[in-house]
Amino acid sequence: MISADIPTEHQELLDQLKDMIVAIDSAGACRTAERIVAEKIDPMRAIKYSIAEAALAIGHKFDTGECFLPHLVMVGDLMDQVTMILEVGIPQEDCLKKKVVVIGAVQGDMHSVGKNLVGTMLRSGGFEVHDLGVDVPSATFIQKAKDVKADLIALSSLLTTTMPYQREVIDDLVSMGLRHKFKVIIGGGPVTSEYAVEIGADAYGKDAVDALVVAKKMFGME
Amino acid sequence: MISLLEIAERTQTGEKVVEKDWDMDLYRTITGLVEKYDLKHPADHCFINQDDDLPQRAFEAALECLTELGIFCITTGRRVRLCRDEILTIIRETPSEIPMGQGKDRRIWKKQKLEGGDPVNICPGHHTPFTEDLASLVVKNFAQIPRTDFLEGFNFSQVDGREIIGPPMEVYASRRQAAWLREGVRKAGRPGLAIVYYPINTRAEDLICVMDPEHGLRKTDGILLSLLPDLKMEQDMLSAAIVYDEYGCFKISGSFAIAGGFCGGIEGAIVEGIAKPIAAMIAYRDTIHYTGVEHIHSLNGRQVLTPWVNWARSVVNQALNRYAKTVTMRWVIPTSGSGTDLNLIEIAMQSIEAVVNGMNLYAPRHCRTTTNRGQTPLEAEWMIEVADATTGAGLDRAGADDLLTRLAQSIDGRKPEKGYAITECYDLVQHRPVPAYDQVYREVKAHLGDSGISFL
Repeated sequence: MISADIPTEHQELLDQLKDMIVAIDSAGACRTAERIVAEKIDPMRAIKYSIAEAALAIGHKFDTGECFLPHLVMVGDLMDQVTMILEVGIPQEDCLKKKVVVIGAVQGDMHSVGKNLVGTMLRSGGFEVHDLGVDVPSATFIQKAKDVKADLIALSSLLTTTMPYQREVIDDLVSMGLRHKFKVIIGGGPVTSEYAVEIGADAYGKDAVDALVVAKKMFGME
Repeated sequence: MISLLEIAERTQTGEKVVEKDWDMDLYRTITGLVEKYDLKHPADHCFINQDDDLPQRAFEAALECLTELGIFCITTGRRVRLCRDEILTIIRETPSEIPMGQGKDRRIWKKQKLEGGDPVNICPGHHTPFTEDLASLVVKNFAQIPRTDFLEGFNFSQVDGREIIGPPMEVYASRRQAAWLREGVRKAGRPGLAIVYYPINTRAEDLICVMDPEHGLRKTDGILLSLLPDLKMEQDMLSAAIVYDEYGCFKISGSFAIAGGFCGGIEGAIVEGIAKPIAAMIAYRDTIHYTGVEHIHSLNGRQVLTPWVNWARSVVNQALNRYAKTVTMRWVIPTSGSGTDLNLIEIAMQSIEAVVNGMNLYAPRHCRTTTNRGQTPLEAEWMIEVADATTGAGLDRAGADDLLTRLAQSIDGRKPEKGYAITECYDLVQHRPVPAYDQVYREVKAHLGDSGISFL
């Protein structure tokens, strides 16, 4: 709930937008977003409240098994659509800048389930996510991170023998003098928090839900 | 029967599909099929499906899923389309007995009967990473378990003291894995025991390099070539399948569905869980499958039991057993680690369930295993004890459901426990658990006995 300085009917619209996103009602959410713009409600308020609260709600539903990975994808897509509507008329420099994540399964690793989960959770949690897919060489991670001015590089590894490539990305960032530019989070089946410390990662995500919590904490987004 | 060469051609000529579109199409198609075929769990929770009509509807849903979607090749980004006749032919031609091993260790893996009957086939280990200093000794320990029918390899991060990174080192390490398996089974006095190569990476060279009648895979051994989740395949795996099809090794596949992923919820996972082993047979000629349904949250070790997952697993296996002749095995994946009572109780529950669902048993290991922390021989021996007791008791579905319900109540509210490394709870030289773990085992066995299981 936002503070009491907002008229009741505006609050109702913001709550309606939140509920429509959680219900994955595309048409309804877009119509409500348009009404918010038409009513000259602060769009940043809608983004920081309706979308953020929707992200929390859908994350909780995933955690409790009420919704699944496809729902996270659909909610992520809808959030992007709604944000575009709300940001019409806002100068680019004033738009809420999302934290940017580049994610992928490291070189030699073809497993995408965990990476998909984390990427989708991060996206529905308010991050801008660039998913590079599987079998991604270190150079590709780094180049993409530079291109999109990423804040976070997320490295997934499901095989013991591909874990060294998580270290390779970090070592390459160091040798290129870029380590300070990007945070790095690692995860995957055989990966541990101890390994994250050993290779100099900034964080470790035990699973998709944990990865979102950790990423938000990293950027003061709780 | 559609040839692997034909499949290979279709991975190059099939319709191009963006992977994200494939994922969402899978979800939409399966969701529609769940509704069309009225796949839903009963009102009251159960562990074993009691509805005899449901597996057939689920099977039809899976056939329609495969016919409508095909299989997605991630290497080329193309759809491998299949027609119903091709799928039915594969099902008809699927063997229900798989010979393996040599000499006195020759075995036949079989499709088991629903509600049990014969002692089930056993792979007691590994599919969990060990360090190279333990490798040969671990293999010897597991091979010494008399009921072992085959033994699978494992991953590791170092070979000859060097970190494994890059294809040349992976090839070297792959051959070492096969050599450790060969050496370990010889040390156990079982030189003919079938070994199964566990891919330390899925590049074609890593999969094929272990063919070696003297030091690696013989024609009577096997290899793990798994379809990826969401009905996806890789060309490297297909390349290996083509080679091994000619060479002679049997192939096994990780063919369970993950509820919560792109297949949707529990009911959606049933559809994928039936479709996937059929697709694995088509794509790679896999003939032994670890099947069923798991849940994202239990695979991640977040919770011990997830409602309806066991029921969904039983629907999948009843369908495959009745309508597809599939040789299945239950991958026993407790959420708690070795050395804990919860680990042994979970293994017991999964073993009881497997026997009643007509499944063999495979490699009990912690769901979030890390190096040297995945399994000990005690868990495998325990798995066999419980399975044999279940077979001997002649439990039917209703009886098994009642027993599993009581066991579930006994662990209600408990959270997964991390457990111990193999060297902390098991003496590999003397091939026995440390006294503390032995005590845990005896207490759990007594608990199972109090719950109604009579051990032989």
